[in-house]
Amino acid sequence: MGVSNSLPTFSTLSRSMMNRTGAASSTCCQESRSRASKQSFRLSTAAWLGLLPMLTALAFQSCNGIGDENDEETFTDTGTGVFILCEGNYQSGNSSLSYYDPQTRKVENGVFQRANDRKLGDTGQSITLHDGTAYIAVENSGIIWAIDAETFKVKGQLTAGAGNKIVNPRYVHVANAERAYVSDLYSPFITVFNPATMQAVGSISTQQPQAYGYCNTEQFVAYGDVLFTNCWCYSRSILVLDTQKAEVTDSIVLTSWQPKCMALDARGKLWVITDGGYGTDAASFGDNEPHLYRIDAATRKIELDQVLDTDEASVQLALNPRRDTLYLVNNDIYRMGVAESHVPVRPFILAPVDAKGRRHKLYGLSVNPRGGDIYVADAVDYSQSGVVYRYSREGALRDQFRVGINPNGFAFK
Amino acid sequence: MTARSCFLSALLLCHSLVAVSKATVPQRDTLSTLRTVPVEASRRLRDTGLQKIVLDTLVLHENISHSMAEILTQNSAVFVKSYGRATESTAEFRGTSPSHTQVTWNGMRINSPMLGTVDFSTIPSHFIDEAALYHGASSIPLTGGGLGGAVEMKSVAPQSDGFGAQYVQGIGSFRTYDQFLRLNWKGRRWSSTTRVFYGRSENDFRFTNYDKKTDVRDSQGRLIRSYHPTERNKSGYFRDLHAQQDVFRTDNRGNRYAASVWYTHSLRGLPFLSVDYKEDSDFRNEQGADALRGILSWNHTRDTWSTCLRAGYAWQDIAYDYFTTRTDMRTDITHSRSRAHSALVQGAADWMPAAAWLLTASAELRYDHIRSRDRSPFHIGQNYNLGRAETSASAQARWRPVEPFTLAAVLRHESFGSHLVPPIPALLADYVLYRPWRLTAKASVARNCRHPSMNDLYFQPGGNPHLKSEQGFTYDGGLEAVIPLRPWTLSGSIACFDSHITDWIQWTPNAKGYWEPSNVKRVHNYGAELHLQAKGRVRAVEMDIAGNFAYTPSLNRGERTNANDASYGKQLPYVPRRSANLTARMGWRTWTLACHWTHYGQRFTTTSAEADRITGRLRPYYMTDVSLGKEFRWSWASANVRLAVNNVLGTEYVTVLSRPMPPRNFEIYVDLKLHTK
Repeated sequence: MGVSNSLPTFSTLSRSMMNRTGAASSTCCQESRSRASKQSFRLSTAAWLGLLPMLTALAFQSCNGIGDENDEETFTDTGTGVFILCEGNYQSGNSSLSYYDPQTRKVENGVFQRANDRKLGDTGQSITLHDGTAYIAVENSGIIWAIDAETFKVKGQLTAGAGNKIVNPRYVHVANAERAYVSDLYSPFITVFNPATMQAVGSISTQQPQAYGYCNTEQFVAYGDVLFTNCWCYSRSILVLDTQKAEVTDSIVLTSWQPKCMALDARGKLWVITDGGYGTDAASFGDNEPHLYRIDAATRKIELDQVLDTDEASVQLALNPRRDTLYLVNNDIYRMGVAESHVPVRPFILAPVDAKGRRHKLYGLSVNPRGGDIYVADAVDYSQSGVVYRYSREGALRDQFRVGINPNGFAFK
Repeated sequence: MTARSCFLSALLLCHSLVAVSKATVPQRDTLSTLRTVPVEASRRLRDTGLQKIVLDTLVLHENISHSMAEILTQNSAVFVKSYGRATESTAEFRGTSPSHTQVTWNGMRINSPMLGTVDFSTIPSHFIDEAALYHGASSIPLTGGGLGGAVEMKSVAPQSDGFGAQYVQGIGSFRTYDQFLRLNWKGRRWSSTTRVFYGRSENDFRFTNYDKKTDVRDSQGRLIRSYHPTERNKSGYFRDLHAQQDVFRTDNRGNRYAASVWYTHSLRGLPFLSVDYKEDSDFRNEQGADALRGILSWNHTRDTWSTCLRAGYAWQDIAYDYFTTRTDMRTDITHSRSRAHSALVQGAADWMPAAAWLLTASAELRYDHIRSRDRSPFHIGQNYNLGRAETSASAQARWRPVEPFTLAAVLRHESFGSHLVPPIPALLADYVLYRPWRLTAKASVARNCRHPSMNDLYFQPGGNPHLKSEQGFTYDGGLEAVIPLRPWTLSGSIACFDSHITDWIQWTPNAKGYWEPSNVKRVHNYGAELHLQAKGRVRAVEMDIAGNFAYTPSLNRGERTNANDASYGKQLPYVPRRSANLTARMGWRTWTLACHWTHYGQRFTTTSAEADRITGRLRPYYMTDVSLGKEFRWSWASANVRLAVNNVLGTEYVTVLSRPMPPRNFEIYVDLKLHTK
């Protein structure tokens, strides 16, 4: 290697040194000793210079690129806080869990890793809180964690592999102390597991094509013995799962692509919001127009189908604690009574707008069942820490704080 | 540091010292193990003002298992972002992005027309005879679009008359086997080189997984203890086959013809993340790639002028499959297929109307056609099926009005599809300050543009047909010298640069879960690059010590996404501010010892450069590789046996989040050469 093409080479130097050695052979002993001394010095210098990289490396040997410096921290939080799941970036393994106490307005970030000295995983998809345990589905890691809601310590885990049909777990629905369901982005099965032991106990076929077919399932909504689950990815179906028969017995086909969120109101109506796919032209999939549906859960008839504005952010849906008021994110935040026939024209809360008029792209939405505070997440540029806004049920901003990358899920203690 | 690594290091140190102490005995051997490299002492007009680093065959052909990714990592100031061994490795000059590095092979640009990048892990270093790195504006005389720089790779005709053969067999850790065969023939007019390389490895190295922890519980479910498990690299296997044929012909009328064909077939598993709990036996997650590149060239040289014509064709077929292999459940996640055809014709002419002038003109027409589709259910329809023509033309003038001073002006113009790229002008100059040391001051100023790749524009979902070309304005200055201090020759260069890139194309995830590109950023790169080298011979010990250091702040100066955006003024993700490497080679009689030391400073993983977040940064690391070789010579052949120890100190490190890198590993290889005339 050299600068430009102009450096001498080993062979050039070799010849040069050979000539010098040959000429020196006829000189007197004293000169020889002097020269030998100098050459010895040069040799020593050469040796040290040659060994310099190794010595330098030894000097820095303790500076490893990774390590085990993160020990487990102890948390004990018996308050009524909220977990915020931050999905991180796909293929980066930087999903994280934050915990926010609305009373003290204190936020702790990265609590899963800090409490357990291990990473949460790649693409944390959902968090479900049930009876003091938080179940976190980490999609691309193929794992469902069960953590203690007070200490944040891992109580158990269910991983994809032999004994179950999990591939990329998305959402968990805990039916009772012995039975829980997990949906999947790629598996044509809904896996049934025991939440106490975190052992798979069975699976239910979605009756979707297994090879070269759409087979994903997403969120769960329970209605009596029925579980509704939406098929988001490249689909427009909502499957009806009979939990007694442990099989899919029916499906609802929507007019719009990619049903993303569902919620069941107090009157037994299933609300569904779609994102409309990705299409911007004829060559691409979908039309990129979100729809809001109201479906009677008993008859499974679509009662309302409203086209929403093309969304620059992430459509989301949530109900208030009494389940009589619907909140949805469609660029801004809208609120409507569940008996109303259309989404109001005016937003309930305008997405924050900066000094240059740019609207924040909202990513997550949830409502605290205690008091009805509204939590909205801003993913900023999807590659840095997100921001969570906490509004009162009247829409007044109460607090805002930084969490992890791409906050997308909330679970309230 | 473990006891084992202490012992190993001590052993190597002792061995080195013993080897050097033996050198006190005068030797007649001229160390033929270290290969000759041509010397060109005169200042070439063509190199006016260039910040250029040349990698010679000694560097390129040192280790059979090395790809160009390892060569650049160990021997240049370029940052190589590697996802692991035999996985995607891209090169970034001066804190720019991988698509800002233009790469040519025998004059043909080989950047993927789909991605705009080159995966250097797919280029075996033994297939390249000469390589040169052009930093910043120095790439413009070669090609446009190199906002960071360019890498030029060449095949060279055999130097020795008659037949020559070389076979290298390597066997290494993680069931790695490398085979390389080279056949040379040189006659009076014709010469030929045939190369075949086949490398395979299970690459299932074991590592301590600090991203996971195993809990041991008693029968009551109470936690007894927990530990970070030792895991193996899942799905990291690879099989790479390369074959290359070069044919050269020269005549006494100034003509030189060359034809080169390079075929590649590779099958590589895509390693699982360190946070992935799935079993690799349940999945097939691999990428297969076939590529064929061919180039024909004709050079005609006269006293004062020369011309060059080239015609080339490249074909690349990439298949990426990800699906379950379980018997009780089948799901197809990705079956992606991409096929690219590229054809080009080039012409160039040099004219020296006087000794102080060199005028050059060049033109290139290139056509790319790509069909990209996915057969899995999770993608509907074709990604795209489109063709695009690109043109590039340049006029260059170099003038030496007085002996120490040379000036070069370059004007390049490019187009893609129906879009014209703004003109790319560059002005380069150098001045010899002190002739005995060849101390030369160099400077350049240029504007450069890179047009979007086909995926940037058309990939579905996400492609953005409204993207603008990226534009860069850069200026740099530096010094270069070669100082003879017998028995040493010291050489080096230092360059300072300042660059502003606007409309930087960046792929970011969006709310719907897919990625899309946009002209979101204005980036300010500045810093310094230092290269130093000392070569010499002390009695029988030949030394070559070379080092590089780069300081490359690369700051986002674009508009904030919104008021919460904390990325303004922050270092770009995965671009180290500081990096360095040092290489020492020692030769004594028929023994050679080489030591490579590489350092990358901390790298942030988010746009907001949050070092306090647990996964917000990758810690600095230092890497040491050592190899020891012994040559056996006969009149008709030679054999070189070499033991390489990579990651001598067993450093645990990652270069990308959740991508474990190999621990200490070994490879022994035997290099047999046959000479006949």
